Amino acid sequence: MNKRTGKLKTTLHYLTGGLVTAVFLLPLYWAMTASLRQPGLAPPVTVEWWPTNAHWDNFTEVFRAVPMARYLKNSLIVVGTAVPLTLITASLAGFSMAQMPDKARRRLLAVSVAYLVVPAASIWMFRFQILQVLGLVDTLWALILPAFAASSPLFVLLFYWTFRRIPSELIEAGRLDGANAWAIWRRLALPLARPTTIAVTILAAVLYWNDFVSPVLYIYRPELYTAPIGLQILKQVDSVNWPLLMAAAVLLTLPVAVLLIILQRVFLNNLSLAETMERN
Amino acid sequence: MPLYRRLKSWINSYRGQLRLFLLPYLAGMFVLVALPGVMTAVTAFTDYNAIQPPTWVGLDNFQRMRTYSLVRLSLRNTLLFAITAVPLRLVGALVLALLLQRKRRLFGLYRAAVYLPAVIPEAAYALIWLWIFNPLYGPLNMVLGWLGLPAPAWLAEPGSAQAAIVIMSLFQIGEGFVVLLAGLQSIPRAIYEAAHVDGATRWQSFWRITLPLITPWLLLLTFRDLLMSVQNTYTPSFIMTYGGPYYATTYVPLLVYELAFDLLDYGLAAALLVVLYAFTGAVIMGILSVVGSWGEE
Repeated sequence: MNKRTGKLKTTLHYLTGGLVTAVFLLPLYWAMTASLRQPGLAPPVTVEWWPTNAHWDNFTEVFRAVPMARYLKNSLIVVGTAVPLTLITASLAGFSMAQMPDKARRRLLAVSVAYLVVPAASIWMFRFQILQVLGLVDTLWALILPAFAASSPLFVLLFYWTFRRIPSELIEAGRLDGANAWAIWRRLALPLARPTTIAVTILAAVLYWNDFVSPVLYIYRPELYTAPIGLQILKQVDSVNWPLLMAAAVLLTLPVAVLLIILQRVFLNNLSLAETMERN
Repeated sequence: MPLYRRLKSWINSYRGQLRLFLLPYLAGMFVLVALPGVMTAVTAFTDYNAIQPPTWVGLDNFQRMRTYSLVRLSLRNTLLFAITAVPLRLVGALVLALLLQRKRRLFGLYRAAVYLPAVIPEAAYALIWLWIFNPLYGPLNMVLGWLGLPAPAWLAEPGSAQAAIVIMSLFQIGEGFVVLLAGLQSIPRAIYEAAHVDGATRWQSFWRITLPLITPWLLLLTFRDLLMSVQNTYTPSFIMTYGGPYYATTYVPLLVYELAFDLLDYGLAAALLVVLYAFTGAVIMGILSVVGSWGEE
């Protein structure tokens, strides 16, 4: 292969890659341009790649049309409480699993995988009734509660696979120094699991920020609605005001997109994470 | 030794502390997942409306399921979605992983863009696609018209509505993509170099090296995607079509929601979920038999 065809191939590779990227960003791009059109204006009759007179006011109008600030605040409360809780419960369980004797560990792995495959719809009806018994229906706790149980077995498994790689001599040495399990978890294991901690932080934040089903099922008081429900409310208020609807959709997407772009280096190059997803 | 002392020494032991660490996870999962899941399975054999206590009716709900045309329709829709979306999603994820696996400048951003739709709030993404599929003003039909192609009515007609839900799901393949990237990275480069020295073309190395070595990953992903595809239709169908037009996008999760929370027919909803359990069980058996056969080789 001579140098010229090699260079051509590289260029072609970049172009195809860029094209694919463009296709995947296209829905978001379309949402963005739609969000900048002036509401009430007749829709464009031809392809319009960027609106003339971008109408940024739509983004502030979202907050006037519905109490979006309150919905966002509720979402932030849920994420802000659930993510740290998840990190604690998931890493504790993962640490414990990694330290268990073989037989117990295999059993715990089987249980975790079983929890992973339970169809979500099959727990809707009776989780509602259990929450009712606990008096948590129609409170934000109904949304946060899974965080006390590590949110998802996936997160426990992620920590488990990370902690398994810590050499046992290291932990033995810590125990000989008289450290108890708490100290070893906090001072030895957690600092070694930083990439996993970041990955679980992102995944858990996304899980709670995006959660649409739980508030639909368990929240009825409008003052407790979260942002995804706010979108539905906005749609009910004015279902054909596409500029406003798209502005709200972009608003909800933006934090996730920014988080991903900032952390993509850690996140998308983390092999262990991919391994974990493959296993569930 | 008094009880509290024994408890105290147990908590102070390493073993005891390890067990304690597992308690929130195991107890929480039991209350939030296992218990409701089992209650659903039992309810399938009862008549229950969430207000009066349930009464045992044996296999009545399963009998009703056979004559309840919406149940059959939702199962058919779900199956149709799975057999069209799963292979397409898999091939899409593989092609993208092959294309973007190299460590090159900009490729990190390319990968992030492909992954992004997997983390966008589903409520927002479904709303965005509702706009894109708008038959009159939506950008998709604008572009199709501009290219001189026919513009379907998308969500307004049964067939194209089903296709639309599949198309949207093809953009949310970030997880499979990341998994296959890792799978490709796990193949030692030396194998390719050896094949290259022996005069193998790119095409040959793909069929003889890459594909066989990545097959286990592809199989596990297929099973996983099958499991996910029977539940992931809930939010798109809820927001974009609410099951319509003519029930063409009434999938199992949406019907379960309708039956349980609107019609208060918990028994029938639970029976439908037992069918889902059976399907899940079958997929797990598939995984186990495949994984088991690897061990024998």
